[in-house]
Amino acid sequence: MLDGIISHQELLRRIDALRVERRLIGPVARVEPECMPPVRYFYQPVERADELALDFTYCVQSPKAVLLPPAEPLLRFDRESGKFRAGPVIDHTPTALIGVHPCDVHAIELLDAVFSNGNADGHYLARRRSLFIVAVDCPEPCTEGVFCRDMETHETDRGFDVILYRLDADRRYGVVFASDAGRAWLNPSLSSGGMRTPNSDDERTFIRYRQNKERAFEPRLPMPRRELPEMMARSYDSLLWEATAQRCYSCGSCNLACPTCYCFDIRDENELNGGGCRLREWDACMARDFALVAGGHNFRAKPGQRLRHRLYRKAAWIEAQTGLHGCVGCARCDRACTAKISIVEMLGQLAEEVQHAGTRP
Amino acid sequence: MRARDPETRRPADTTDFPYSIYLPEAARVLNVNPMTELDSLFELELESGRALGHAPGQFVQVSVFGFGECPISISSSPTRGPRFELSIRRVGEVTNALHRLRSGDSVGIRGPLGHGFDVRELHGHDMLVIAGGCALAPARSLIQYVLDERQRFGSFHVLYGARSPNELLFRDELARWGQRDDVHCHVIVDHADESWRGRAGVVTKLFDELPELDRERTMVAVIGPPIMFRFVMLEVLALGIPQNHVYCSIERRMKCGIGKCGHCQANDVYVCMEGPVFKYGRLKALREAIE
Ligand SMILES: Cc1cc2nc3c(=O)[nH]c(=O)nc-3n(C[C@H](O)[C@H](O)[C@H](O)COP(=O)(O)OP(=O)(O)OC[C@H]3O[C@@H](n4cnc5c(N)ncnc54)[C@H](O)[C@@H]3O)c2cc1C
Ligand code: SF4
Ligand code: SF4
Ligand code: FES
Repeated sequence: MLDGIISHQELLRRIDALRVERRLIGPVARVEPECMPPVRYFYQPVERADELALDFTYCVQSPKAVLLPPAEPLLRFDRESGKFRAGPVIDHTPTALIGVHPCDVHAIELLDAVFSNGNADGHYLARRRSLFIVAVDCPEPCTEGVFCRDMETHETDRGFDVILYRLDADRRYGVVFASDAGRAWLNPSLSSGGMRTPNSDDERTFIRYRQNKERAFEPRLPMPRRELPEMMARSYDSLLWEATAQRCYSCGSCNLACPTCYCFDIRDENELNGGGCRLREWDACMARDFALVAGGHNFRAKPGQRLRHRLYRKAAWIEAQTGLHGCVGCARCDRACTAKISIVEMLGQLAEEVQHAGTRP
Repeated sequence: MRARDPETRRPADTTDFPYSIYLPEAARVLNVNPMTELDSLFELELESGRALGHAPGQFVQVSVFGFGECPISISSSPTRGPRFELSIRRVGEVTNALHRLRSGDSVGIRGPLGHGFDVRELHGHDMLVIAGGCALAPARSLIQYVLDERQRFGSFHVLYGARSPNELLFRDELARWGQRDDVHCHVIVDHADESWRGRAGVVTKLFDELPELDRERTMVAVIGPPIMFRFVMLEVLALGIPQNHVYCSIERRMKCGIGKCGHCQANDVYVCMEGPVFKYGRLKALREAIE
């Protein structure tokens, strides 16, 4: 069921209206004829709605940087020797994130759970509470290689304020609200004609849209998602970890690109005036020294152990811990990897290995 | 890490966040006593006067602003009042900065963190504590606790091994424990020198000092480097002690200490939250913890 129908022009007007109170961030096209693909999209701050590319394929980097910046000060301190002066740095900047595909909405839900469970992380949560999310559904796979359908993240009905469905070529969007803030933003009664309540034709178009969408996504994994943990449980001693990781550079690009990777490092940075800050920075479990301790012992010294750790988290452990998706099938890690190590291929190979091993006694 | 409420799609709107879980509280250094060339014992007190309220086996994150923060076990028992002690070995950036502090200076403390020994479960039992190297620091919190609450425990044995006589921590205390008759404390060093009149060899050799133990009544704590763990566990299991009577403490790299940063994971377990003290039965299921 749709809550409304909005024209492209009206949508842009409403986004510009949001700009009055909030910073706008959304997909912006970057044209680089010498690159493949020549047009790529990045989440960037914009001043006006017409700078946004709402029909973007996928953003090279995930939107996690908006909530968990690659480097952020947690504390500011005064370094005067032997004294103790420090305070938290909390960022409440009201922000609207426009153009989040369902996979990334699922990823944000995971970050929400991780940073609010147990010890609530005020740095993340302050940003999250100041964030207004406009999701944009994908009528078809955004690019080759994604496996969001297999991970059941190609659609979503929560975790955003508003979701937009592009119903037809003349850029008419079906609208669904998931929060009061979303409803207030696109309130049909404020319309100058571009926003209206849906009629039965619109609902039929929406049903067709969803039927077409179901057909547009091919399965890429040999098994349903819910069987992944069991498959992983039988793959711990596979030789594939070491064999595949032989070509890994331990660069951690897969972690940095991943919308559900949230591990971080904390370190102090000093300023010349005697002050400084304690910084949180993205870290990567694929990096050599991630589990290294003083004295030289490394608890995951081999690349194969690190690859195994990453895939276990993505395909089994995170879900067991949070009940949410550890991997949303966006394939950003696959695209980021210079060594062409592919998570979806690996999961396929492991599945094949487990099938060949037959059923467990 | 389990979601408290899977229906809550958005973080609760109820609290504001004027504080940070990463903000330490101020503690004053009261005393610094060198114990070895590399290890010193720091006596601290929170400036608020609050007692830490820890269990033996728990740790704190200690900060020196400008240098960073690192996890250190609390090496004194909660029974000793609001002051607490940390035994710190200087090995890198933060620990060297800590060693430059003098009494009267301030440090940052977050904690107590993690899970230590469940002392109520230990009450009423005979105790066997086995420690290796630096790990006498966390073990000492438990040892002091048993001595302070002596009437709650049966027989009490402590086995401690260090690489050389120079590397023994808490030498004065070891000597005092050696003289008491309500604790049987045995010490061994890998490499003896001419000053050393005790035994030489690995810590497992000390098992021959133990009398016949009452298997059902004995609780065991094993605290030491990964290499020691395996050999000691073989001896402990050979004694026939039930596996759910054995506690182990393990080491991992740690950054946040509160289950977020991911550094401390052993397979799917966040050691900073569920550990560093585990029941042996739990560790056995963690391949990365025992390999
Ligand atoms: C639960 C726990 C209890 C500990 N208790 C004690 C103790 O009682 N006394 C003592 O001297 N040492 C203890 N350690 C080890 C101590 O934390 C490291 O020696 C210390 O982190 C080294 O920091 P550094 O900055 O001096 O060294 P660097 O090599 O410069 O380390 C940089 C950072 O890496 C991380 N790191 C490095 N080594 C370790 C390590 N072994 N464990 C965890 N994180 C590490 C820390 O975040 C550290 O700040 C304990 C470690 C853990 C996990
Ligand atoms: S593991 Fe790879 S495919 Fe899965 S969410 Fe992360 S980047 Fe996307
Ligand atoms: S991006 Fe590829 S090469 Fe780099 S750490 Fe990840 S798997 Fe290894
Ligand atoms: S130390 Fe950060 S998660 Fe355990």
